[in-house]
Order: sequence, then C-alpha cells, then structure tokens
Amino acid sequence: MWQRASSWVAEAAAVFVKDWRCEFRTRYALNTLALFAFTTLVVISASLGPLGTSREQSFAVLPVLLWVILLFAASAGLPRGFVQEEETHTATALRLAAKPSALFAGKLLYGVTLLFALETFVAPVYCAMVSLKIQGPGLLALTLAVAGYGLAAGSTLIAAIIAQAQGRSTLFAVLAFPVLLPLLLLAVELTRNAVAGVPAGVALVQLLLYDAVVTIIGLMLFPVVWNP
Amino acid sequence: MPDNQIRFDGLSRRFGRLAVLAGVTGEVADGEVLLVTGSNGSGKSTLLKCLAGLLAPDKGTIASREGGQSLDATERRRRVGLVAPDLAFYEELTAAENLTFFGRLRGFPPARGAELLARVGLPGDRLAGALSSGMRQRLRWCWALLHRPRLLLLDEPFQNLDAPGEAVTRELLDEHLAAGGLAVVANPSSIAVSHVATRLELGS
Repeated sequence: MWQRASSWVAEAAAVFVKDWRCEFRTRYALNTLALFAFTTLVVISASLGPLGTSREQSFAVLPVLLWVILLFAASAGLPRGFVQEEETHTATALRLAAKPSALFAGKLLYGVTLLFALETFVAPVYCAMVSLKIQGPGLLALTLAVAGYGLAAGSTLIAAIIAQAQGRSTLFAVLAFPVLLPLLLLAVELTRNAVAGVPAGVALVQLLLYDAVVTIIGLMLFPVVWNP
Repeated sequence: MPDNQIRFDGLSRRFGRLAVLAGVTGEVADGEVLLVTGSNGSGKSTLLKCLAGLLAPDKGTIASREGGQSLDATERRRRVGLVAPDLAFYEELTAAENLTFFGRLRGFPPARGAELLARVGLPGDRLAGALSSGMRQRLRWCWALLHRPRLLLLDEPFQNLDAPGEAVTRELLDEHLAAGGLAVVANPSSIAVSHVATRLELGS
C-alpha cells in the first residue's frame, strides 16, 4: 500500500518536474501569462486614470477586475498543459507510461505553481497601479492562494476534457463558464472583504469546498477522459 | 497454456463509415513473432493501437497473459513496449532526459535509459528535437524497451534506420525473444524477422 502510494507520488512529481523543465526551456506559458497580464494591467490602469477611483468604486469594481485579469491570463496559459501533449503527439507515450491520476496530479501541481507565480506578480502591481488599498492583506493572500488553486484545478480539469477535441478554444470558454463561475464569484466576494478589512465569512469555507470537489472530480474523471 | 500470450479474436474497428479492421483474429506466445503485413490503410497501425490499449475495438476481444496472469486493458497499456511512427518525445528535453522521465514514471532508474542509449549508439545529450529521423527511431526502441516489457508492438520497426541501426535493433529484438518475450511486428511488406510463428495479412 505504502509502496503504491510512494510510486504514485513519484510519478506525479516526475510529471511536475518535466513540465517545469520544458517550460524553463521554452518559456511559452510564462511569457503568454506575463504578456497577457501586463497588457490587461496597463489597459485597466490607463482606463481608470492616474487618480484611481473613489472608495465606493474601488470596493465595487477593482476586486472584479483583478479576477478578470487572472482568469484571462490563466485561460491563455493553463490549458496548454494537456493540449500541447496532444498537439506534439507526446500524449501516446504518456498514456502508455503514466498512471492517469498521477499524471493529472502532476499537471495540476504545475498549473497551481504557474498561477501562484502569476498572482505574485499581478496582485501587488495591480494594487499599486489602481491605488487599491487593502485593509486585510492576510485575507487577500489567503484568497489568492485558495482561489488560485481552484482556478488552476478547474482549468486543468477542463483542459484535460478538451485536449482530444477539435475547436479547443471555444470548448474551453464554454466549459469554463459553469465550472469557474462559482469560484470567481466567491473569489471576488473574499477580495472585497480583504479590501474592506472584514472577516472572510462563509465564502472561504465554500471556496475550500469548491477546491476539494474540483480536485476529487478531476482525479476521478481524468482516467475516463484520458484513456480510450 | 503459455505464460506470456496475447490473443485477439474478431477485432473490428470503424472510423466513422470507414471499416478499418473487420473481424481480425490472431495470437502470439512466448518467444514468437506475429508478422502483420498489408498495404497502407489496411489497419496495421490500428490493430497495434488496439492491442496496446490505445484504441478500443468496436467488436471482438483481446486476451493477454503475462507471467501466467491475465491482464486487463489498463494493465496491458502500461506494460507493452511500443515502437510506432507517431510516437513522439519532448523536443525541449535531451534523449537521456526523455528516458529518465519515462523511466521515473515506470519505476526504473536513469541508468537503464543510459544503458539503452549506449546500446543503440545514440548521444544522450542531444535534444530530442534535434535528432534525425533515424535517431528518433533508435530513441523509440530505447523507450519501448525501457521497462523490460514482455510484449513488444512494433509498427514499421526498422523505418529510417541505417544499416548499423537496423542491425542493433534486430539484435535487441532477438534478445527480447530469446528471453521469452513476444512481439507483434507490422510492416507494409513482408520483412525478414526471426522467430515468426504466424503471418497475418490485412486487407486481403
């Protein structure tokens, strides 16, 4: 039992290390995410003007825009994890060599770390550029971590489902809407709480539950969609 | 009953309206080769993908045994060794890194990959994306033998290989068969392969 678990963890770790090694050599996802995030950051901050917004507007609009930036940047980079395996025909070797659930876990871990790297860059720059004052920075960091994990998990799951289909970009948008909508609504609510400096409330529990459900569904569903 | 065997009976597979395989039957056991021939589009690669568990047949059964134990499709998929033209590797990684990665997935140390690379005469430090077509074929052989499979599925196994490359891969196949392994070899025309027990011509 322990040996099987150890082998599963080693397989997931091997996929994670391989993905980052390939990423460091091509910098495809990093560049895509960074460029997308930078462009949207500049557009939003330029549109709002150098003086930023009023406190009421800040509370209503700015948390939403932060998650719009993160969603679109993630949508541009995260689905590549599985789609690229199909496009470059490396999926065949992976199907024969890897346990599907370990492969999913490795890809998920890669997506999560990629998104955390993006959030580390985007969140402080965004807050500075739009003069967003955060009363509860601890809650914001927690929200970015928990919702970022959910965003990566949801995107990885959808990417796995669409990888073998045609018209992948359209399919991603269609499937992402129902899967990611609850996550984004909760993330925005928690970010507003962080801005206002009020406690997280039940939204944080709901977000943690969302993460757990998406992870479990992914681990259970992935072998079915991955193998013939 | 042999310890290692794969038997398929009445395999059919369609792609839309096109029937690629229609009721194909065959078997191969320890130390034997099943040679599958047929023109382009006759279903050789489809048959091998079904045997590997990469495609599910529409009809028919596949029964596989290894070490006296029956394998289901999932176990068969993880245990076969496959050489096929559409088998690709990570172009950003070197040949050795590719084998190390797949070795980790299969629970083998990097030394196993290095041993196979040395055997086929392939430089381990060259990026997979920079390999010639013949070198890629050598890497496919290394990948297929990495986990010491009992069943080898070889789709045009000597394609693009130069004379030394073909000689060393034939040696590897002979050693595999001598150790009690079995192989299904698919090629458009009949080729000289030792230990051929059965011939199957598709599209005839």
